Amino acid sequence: MAKKISQAFFSSSVYLPQKWPGNSLIRQRQLQSGFARILSCALLFLLAGSAQAQELHKIEFAAEKIEGGYFAYRMRQHLVSDLSGGNAVDVTSRYPDGPTIPGPTIVIREGDEVELTLYHQFDPESPAHEHVSVHVHGVHYDIESDGTLEYINHFKDESAIPVMSYKYRWIAAPGTAGTWPYHDHNMLTHNGAEDRGLYGAVIVNPASNTTVMSSGGSRQTVSLDTVTKDYVLYLFDDTFAGTEIDRATGRQSYGGANPPLTAQKNTNVRFHLIALGTNFHRFELPGYSWPEPGTDQLVSAKTLGPIEKYVFTVNATQSSSYQDTALNNLLLGMRGAFLVSE
Amino acid sequence: MNINISRSRIKAFAAVKFFVVTLLLSGFAFSATHTIVMTAEYVANGQPAYKMISHTSSEGATLDYPVEAVIPGPTLFVKEGDVVNIELTNNTQMHVGFFVPALSGLSGNQLAPGQSGNFQFNATKVGTHVYGDEGSHLTGLFGALIVDRQDGRVQSLIEGDGTLRSVNQSDLKKEYVMFMVGSTFWGAEIVNGKQRPLWTNPTLGALLNDAVRFHILAIGHAHTFHLHAHRWPDETGFEALGVEPHIIDAKILDFPFDSHVFTVRAGTGVGTGFWQYHCHLVSHMESGMVGKFHVVDPGTGATGDSIAGASPNGKIWPNLLDGEPGLVTFEITDEPGSFFRSIRSNDIKGATISPALEIIPPGGSVHFIMSDTNAVHTITSLLWPSDANDPLLGDHRQIPMDQTKAYRGGGIVTLDTPGLYVFTCKIHPYMFGAVIVDDPNTGGLDLGKKIDIVTGINNLPTISDLATRLLRTFFVATVQGNWQDVTSSKPWRVKYPNVNVAIGDLQGNLVDNLPLKDVLESRYGQDVKLADLFNPATPGVGEVWINTQFEKTAGKTKPGTITVLDAATWKIKRKIALPQINMNHPHNMWTNRDQSIIFQTQWFDTKLTFIDRATGALLHNIHLGDTPSHVMTIPQSDVITVAINGENGVIGIRPGEIEPYVMMPTQHPGQVPANPHGHWVSPDGKIITPNINTSDTGFYDSNTGEIIARPAAGGNFPAGPHPIAIGVGVDKVYTANLLDHSLSVYDLNGNPLSRINLLADYDPIAPTGDTTLQDRDGDGLVTVGVLPIQTPVDPTGRVVVTANTGGTITIVDTSIDKVVAMLPCDPGCHGVNFGAKSGGGYYAYVTSKFSNQLIVVDPDPNGDGNFSDAIIAGRIALVAGGDVPSDDKVVSLAGTGGQGVLAIPNVYNGWVQNLPAEWRDGLTPAQLSPVQ
Repeated sequence: MAKKISQAFFSSSVYLPQKWPGNSLIRQRQLQSGFARILSCALLFLLAGSAQAQELHKIEFAAEKIEGGYFAYRMRQHLVSDLSGGNAVDVTSRYPDGPTIPGPTIVIREGDEVELTLYHQFDPESPAHEHVSVHVHGVHYDIESDGTLEYINHFKDESAIPVMSYKYRWIAAPGTAGTWPYHDHNMLTHNGAEDRGLYGAVIVNPASNTTVMSSGGSRQTVSLDTVTKDYVLYLFDDTFAGTEIDRATGRQSYGGANPPLTAQKNTNVRFHLIALGTNFHRFELPGYSWPEPGTDQLVSAKTLGPIEKYVFTVNATQSSSYQDTALNNLLLGMRGAFLVSE
Repeated sequence: MNINISRSRIKAFAAVKFFVVTLLLSGFAFSATHTIVMTAEYVANGQPAYKMISHTSSEGATLDYPVEAVIPGPTLFVKEGDVVNIELTNNTQMHVGFFVPALSGLSGNQLAPGQSGNFQFNATKVGTHVYGDEGSHLTGLFGALIVDRQDGRVQSLIEGDGTLRSVNQSDLKKEYVMFMVGSTFWGAEIVNGKQRPLWTNPTLGALLNDAVRFHILAIGHAHTFHLHAHRWPDETGFEALGVEPHIIDAKILDFPFDSHVFTVRAGTGVGTGFWQYHCHLVSHMESGMVGKFHVVDPGTGATGDSIAGASPNGKIWPNLLDGEPGLVTFEITDEPGSFFRSIRSNDIKGATISPALEIIPPGGSVHFIMSDTNAVHTITSLLWPSDANDPLLGDHRQIPMDQTKAYRGGGIVTLDTPGLYVFTCKIHPYMFGAVIVDDPNTGGLDLGKKIDIVTGINNLPTISDLATRLLRTFFVATVQGNWQDVTSSKPWRVKYPNVNVAIGDLQGNLVDNLPLKDVLESRYGQDVKLADLFNPATPGVGEVWINTQFEKTAGKTKPGTITVLDAATWKIKRKIALPQINMNHPHNMWTNRDQSIIFQTQWFDTKLTFIDRATGALLHNIHLGDTPSHVMTIPQSDVITVAINGENGVIGIRPGEIEPYVMMPTQHPGQVPANPHGHWVSPDGKIITPNINTSDTGFYDSNTGEIIARPAAGGNFPAGPHPIAIGVGVDKVYTANLLDHSLSVYDLNGNPLSRINLLADYDPIAPTGDTTLQDRDGDGLVTVGVLPIQTPVDPTGRVVVTANTGGTITIVDTSIDKVVAMLPCDPGCHGVNFGAKSGGGYYAYVTSKFSNQLIVVDPDPNGDGNFSDAIIAGRIALVAGGDVPSDDKVVSLAGTGGQGVLAIPNVYNGWVQNLPAEWRDGLTPAQLSPVQ
């Protein structure tokens, strides 16, 4: 009996919840018709090519309640247009169809603007009267888009409620490049349900379109165009959650708890770490080191506290496993595969 | 480096020489010498604090300091290379020191009460550094030393348009010093050379586009600071390196001393508003670690002044009327009974009797700080005045107070509604702190008309039996002097405060000026004669190991011993305190197959301790995780399983090893932590946990870790049943629900079968009287089990013996799943386990926290399988005489705190079959094969 325990307990797939949204609830959105898809890709390509074009992102989120005591955001629609709203392209097909934990990753560029409308859709049969919001970090917004309750902001309850949506406006002004968490701030204990599934990230890519990476033990500035994958990894109190984004297509995939991440050998990939909850973490990716932001150092481990964010780019040279080596986190199974294929 | 008490000329000369050398090395021509005279004082609520007497600098002007002692202490501004000479006088009753860990490491120098001393150091390192007293810093003796560059340049800011702006100190309109301590911000601000205390969780004011600098410091616990809608470059030396800054809006402050400094332009790019600042640990947010940064438009005439928070010099009892909003402070400790200890308890104990009781006026605040504990806790409202969480009358955002996850830190809450508030820890649910919010307009202290209880009981009149019974329980549980000493010839006397109270009658009216002592004594008696001690007539087999968890010994600061009893003679064989590891609250034990090693959990700590059974010697002391509660082996494999009560899983350790190899999660990833307490392992190898934080019983496959089922526990009070311990029979599982006063019964697959209501014969509402207890369920018996805890099933699977904290032992016949007998127990009745009775049958050994005896129950004296004639077969004092071998000297609370209990040999079904021959010999064939 003991023999089996050791094997089985460490094989994380055994006790992953079948109901964890990444595993079974999420079905990939139906692809748009071939023509529409080609068209939208072509448009995106054109937009991406003109590095200075600022974009407006009109986004609709639903906040939903799902089995197991979780809540989750669902991407209802994401339209990308010029700042006046013209030339809109629907990029909703980048995202899975259902609610996701983590929530959708919103990828924008320095200079872009976002209008995010949140719908409260916990349970149509018996709507909870709980407030739900989106509070974002890093970017600019005025007090009306803080996503907090009136008792905090002395202005108003900036929440979606069952009968009313709420619209948030963000400006990714110069100086806000980075990867920033967003999360609910108003549910449950009025401090937000970020630890129950209502969280995600905004990637504000820099206007310079570059990133610093380690290559062969030295720091190097490269174009973001060379980066093939974005991995957004959240360090929870007892698990990693994550989103893998194919930068060529923008498509996002969700792998559940401690998701495997995939890369082609010798391509550049970017990790975005965000911690959430109450615990502290020590992130490691054995075999890799990366530039420590704000310094000239390469490091191979990082201590993170809740809501801190941390971004680094590496060249995928070998398979490894990302892991949290703090306290009991590793014992509890906080690690996942980083699979680099030829 | 150079902090010391220097009184001699030689030392002074050395300091001057050092200063000169430093000057030469650093190349700074204008280093100043500071002479800072400070005292350590107590502020009004009993917290210690530093006070500035004078600050002179060889360079002239210094700040305008507050005249009072302040928390944080006076902020000391110096320049890189300056020499700082602190002259400190200790006006407190404790030893006080002064150290700057970032510059010097820890200093052992301490000033005795009344003593003065000098501490010198050289400000070699630019930055904002914690200074403080090493021993007591979490309660108030901390402050900031700010070492700036000689050229005045401070941290750069990022403008709203993305430009990085270099900033000089003279550009700064305000500087804020914010200490993150426990779950509270302690603030001060410096404006135009004047320093002002802002106390707790202040509203920081600023004019739009003013450059302001934040000095964030943390001591004791780790935090992450976040300020809404602002961003700043992380201090990484990026400018000197010529690399891009790391722009952040949240920053970790790591254990045990840390700081983070940044400059922002208030509201840049985002405008005016109340922008929240807070710690971003969810448990710290939930315990009140939030404040506001108020950015105003100067064009509107707004001044942008900061608003101080609740002050330790403000209004608190007995001064309820005059002053600023006040603050009382509870230290969270590992001291038995004083788990919530008012920091001024020695000053007010004459009135309050309990160190865990505080009194404030409406609008006062209560501050908690986990300053003297090694465990994680929650600070959770157990009961509160019914109006306090009414959306129209009170503040439902503040009360009830609770946190999703156990943590290290503290808490702060403002209480506006008069009445009684009791706080507890969900992990350690006999930790109690009480606050009376007293309306100055009533005569007696206000207990409130009605209370709500966390279990979902609402609008309970305070004159009810349940309300006063809980109040009595509070005074028994929190006052060490109120615990029973069975070795004393005196009757048991419970001391209550000699005060008048205002309580609510059944009609909802306030009855004022009732003497509390008279009410409690008339309801629950006084000077009760304790039952005589006697040994069971029939010996037991082997040994009984008892966690006398509160017993204190000379060689360690933490409480708890193991008392080993010889079951053949009923004499104490040994006391084990383990001073070499400062064993902290030994709570529960189990043993390996050959009964050679005792595994001991330390419930207020992080460790599992391995003890040689034969000698009592320490074998290993291993770190497992926060608050390990119960330990038990898997009978088939001898793998050790330990419930990690403060976290979210059960740890496994292979036989013969001392490193855990797995932690089995008790919930799916990202779900609320279950916080399992007293688990059991079923004969078919399932791990079954009472999940205190999620109100369910967890059934887990120990092979795969799979969650088989998590059926709800309890049912009397579904809002918070608090399942706490498991018993497993042949084919059934029993969960004791502490706050539900019930046993949940399941089959081995987790399917609910029934619920045994231990409160069926009790009327909680009416004032205490003859009908408070009577046969209400028609079974012909009057039985009650208030606050059930350990609840094992005997090895034959036929009888459950439950220890009820309320002072009874209930006996359940598993063939009918009904209570068939009740026996008296001591206050804080807690632990039960079965051991073999010589010649056949079993004893249930029962322990109690607030007494010092072991009660031996014989559930079936005549061996007829009918348990309605269960008896108390013996009462044995757990106080050791001087001849008992021990590794430490007992100094107080002798024999008290009875919790975990374990009989050797382990005769439970599944384990008894694996006993080595030497232990099998003493058992009968029926005991060796208990399930027929």
